Amino acid sequence: MDLLERYLQAVGEYLPGRTKADTLAELRENLLAEMEGREEELGRPLTQGEVADVLEKHGRPVLVAARYLPQQHLIGPAWFPIYWFTLKRSFPFVVLAYALTQAVAWVFQGWKSVDVAAAIAHFPSVTLTFWAVVTLGFACFEYAQGRYFHQVDLSKGWNPNDMPKVEPAQAKRPSLAGGVADLIVSAVGMVWLLAIPYQPYLILGPLVGHLREMPFGLTPEWHIFYWQIISLLAVQLVLKTVMVFLHGVEGWRKGFDVVVQVIGILIISVMVQARTYMVPGTSIGAMSMKDLTTLNTAINLGFKVVLAISVVKLLWDIWKMILSTRAGQKGFVTVL
Amino acid sequence: MTQTFQNELFESLRLELRRGCLILAVLAQLRVEHYGYTLRKALADQGLAIEESTLYPLLRRLETQGLLTSEWREEEKRNKRFYRLSAEGAVILEQLLVEWNGINDSLHKILEEKEEKEEKEEKEDKQDKQQTQDEEAKKER
Repeated sequence: MDLLERYLQAVGEYLPGRTKADTLAELRENLLAEMEGREEELGRPLTQGEVADVLEKHGRPVLVAARYLPQQHLIGPAWFPIYWFTLKRSFPFVVLAYALTQAVAWVFQGWKSVDVAAAIAHFPSVTLTFWAVVTLGFACFEYAQGRYFHQVDLSKGWNPNDMPKVEPAQAKRPSLAGGVADLIVSAVGMVWLLAIPYQPYLILGPLVGHLREMPFGLTPEWHIFYWQIISLLAVQLVLKTVMVFLHGVEGWRKGFDVVVQVIGILIISVMVQARTYMVPGTSIGAMSMKDLTTLNTAINLGFKVVLAISVVKLLWDIWKMILSTRAGQKGFVTVL
Repeated sequence: MTQTFQNELFESLRLELRRGCLILAVLAQLRVEHYGYTLRKALADQGLAIEESTLYPLLRRLETQGLLTSEWREEEKRNKRFYRLSAEGAVILEQLLVEWNGINDSLHKILEEKEEKEEKEEKEDKQDKQQTQDEEAKKER
């Protein structure tokens, strides 16, 4: 029976001290009875191999011990869907918070400290910390409920009348992740624009060196356009932030979306009105002067095309908004 | 669906189906006192074999829930832990049996209805075939 004692010792290693002796005593009796029953069937004592077979059939010690332990889980099936939903819904905000923190740090620490690769490399550890904190919070809640306060019954306390109205099948509702991504891109774009006066390399790249040798340069009016654009972009950024937080409040969100588009059109209009974007330098020839005029015309035309597209897009969105409002009213009447 | 996946799925569903039934069987069998090994044998003799590693922890859990009582007692010069249905366990067992019988009856009804429907369809098919054959025979004459 040395094998049985070794087996019981192995099982005992995984049992809590409080119930260990009692559980092992019962298990020993049951296994001995099992072996005696087998001996009765065979009419002889069991061999070492047959004892091993009985124990093997009974199961691996760690698994056998686990069955005697109370059922444990970090987050139970009742709360897991809520936990998963929280993780999914919060993640875009983590990305947003991280991107904004990095942008603010770059603004205050100076543009020389900008290291996008390092910021991206650091992001997984931020995500992991966020996941750990949320998981720990839910695990603590799961542990505490029933012990320190009554169990929260999720099946009660909701009203079917509070559910959102049915949306038309053709209307694609913008995702929260999409809204956050748009906000991040806008924020990064604004940081980039703010950095350009200090780091022209960010817009012109290796052409910075050549720009000084060129017979023409940027018009001084760029300073005025620049701050007008920055101001409009700041307003747009604030509105986009509000839109992210208004996710789910469809009427307000659509209204803000239109305002954001109008601001975008205003920015492009400022650029269109400028007309002259490059001015001649001190030593410019007749040929270069002609090129300069063509360049200014081309840039102006480019802005005009973008403006036209933006206006059409805005009108289209307003038209769709009117149609969906009418459809909603019709639906309401039908239901009544 | 591959054969292996189908087998695994069946095994998983079978275990799920058995889980609740085993508790009912154990509670019902423990209206008479047993210790672990004899309980397992008694259930196996009735055609409900349960692995030891499943049954013995289950007894502990049911005792913790107050559905069983146990006591250590000497039998055949060895100390054994005997289990018996508690008063609370008896009440719960009766309630579970009512539920079980309800489910069983409903399931039988569902299966009988299906069988009747299939029989009816088969009968109608036969009649249709017979009618067609008769009509063809008439035409030939």
